[in-house]
Amino acid sequence: MNLDRPWVARAGIALFAMALLYPFTALFARIGPWQWGESVRGPVLSSVRVSLLLTACAMVIIVAIGTPVAAYIAHCRTRERLLWQAVLLVPILLPPLALGILLTLAYGPYATVGSLLERFGVVMTNSATAFVSTQVYVGIGYYVLGAVAAFDAVPVMLQKQAALLGLTPANVFLRVTLPLSRLGLAVALSLAWVRAIGEFGAVMVTAYYPTGMPVQLWVNLTSFGLPAVMPLLVVFLAVALPLPWLVHVLAQRRRHA
Amino acid sequence: MCSRSDDDMLEARIIKNRREISVDVSLALGRGQSLGLFGASGAGKSTVLACIAGIEEPDDGFVKLDNLQFFPPSLPLHRRPLRYLTQEPGLFPHLSVGENISFGIAKAIAAEEEQRRWIATLRDRFQLGPFWNAPASLISGGQARRVGLARMLAGKPRLVLLDEPFAGLDRQLVRELIDDLVFWARTLGFSMIAVDHQAEVLKRLCPHQAIVLEQGRIVQQGSWDDLYRAPATPLLRSLLAPL
Repeated sequence: MNLDRPWVARAGIALFAMALLYPFTALFARIGPWQWGESVRGPVLSSVRVSLLLTACAMVIIVAIGTPVAAYIAHCRTRERLLWQAVLLVPILLPPLALGILLTLAYGPYATVGSLLERFGVVMTNSATAFVSTQVYVGIGYYVLGAVAAFDAVPVMLQKQAALLGLTPANVFLRVTLPLSRLGLAVALSLAWVRAIGEFGAVMVTAYYPTGMPVQLWVNLTSFGLPAVMPLLVVFLAVALPLPWLVHVLAQRRRHA
Repeated sequence: MCSRSDDDMLEARIIKNRREISVDVSLALGRGQSLGLFGASGAGKSTVLACIAGIEEPDDGFVKLDNLQFFPPSLPLHRRPLRYLTQEPGLFPHLSVGENISFGIAKAIAAEEEQRRWIATLRDRFQLGPFWNAPASLISGGQARRVGLARMLAGKPRLVLLDEPFAGLDRQLVRELIDDLVFWARTLGFSMIAVDHQAEVLKRLCPHQAIVLEQGRIVQQGSWDDLYRAPATPLLRSLLAPL
């Protein structure tokens, strides 16, 4: 390909983009009328509620735990930082199904922690707690690593200037570091959101009930076939994609402004 | 805001070993005095200043302002009653010019009539009015230096550290800013240490005394007249010679 000619390169990238977007044409596939009867509608709406509510809870926990963790790692020296980042990579790199099995065994009734939690009434399998904690596990690595990158992008000298102007470290974080990294944090959170709300493998093992959207999609596919999947698929895409997509586009625009 | 007493005195010995240079510099400065740190690029001037400010930590030595020990142990930056200005004025891009200038001043103090008048004085003196509400990220380099200077003065500091704050500006603006700074140093009575590798800038800013550094060591100190009359090293003679 002759890259000296811009239109050739542009045509190439357009072809590439079309290949990436092509799967969306499946929404118009001729599979017969979509099913939206009572047997489909009830569970679908319930799964949407479960996914939105519990993923929102998971995001609150991820931000509450992940932000201070990321702020700490961002200030670590290289060796310590590498250690913590390596740990954070583990849940990201673990195959979801394996993660689900590990979580079930570690926090289930047969493990010490799990039985202890059950004694306090916290059930860690097939419960909202299990659902949320699994989502936290799969999403927090993405958020923390993204947040560390966002904090790294704030010039150290600005933070030191703020301190020399009399701000305590906590106030420097709140008034300088946080506002200057907010878009990066939003990007990190959107990645965690997409990862958590779309999680299927791990959630299917730890929390088949309450049923979220990915598991419900699987149930509809195996029980009723494609026509029963499509309405939920559209809702799933509408819920999962636009916000993170918009945040990423905004971040890119800001970067190139 | 930094309070002021009559017996301000900075005393410091900075020992800092770097890969390319080993710095060992002692200095003392009385209240309201100014001191120029002069030398070629890489002589260790900025290192000395950064160590006093707390931006860098010395390997050994001490830094003391009156009875307040900056080092050792390292005093947290927010408890050091000083202001530090470099050629990068370090404005907060998410805030307006006005918010930058009031940054770090406690809300209760900022609301006082006297403080409001003081901020208004700075705004007028540095001609910041036309872009007072503009985001700091959108103003020009020269305007940013003026804002940086005004912000530095807003807290009425006891000690001001300047690391080539006028580098890259046109001569007219440099002259204006130096005159402003000298005026406010006299009016507010703060002590000042300035670093520059241009003798004429430093001489105007700190006319009475200078310390010359080479390879991290003091090679001469005294008045500018002394330096011009009998430069201690060939490099200093060369640095002081007209172009």
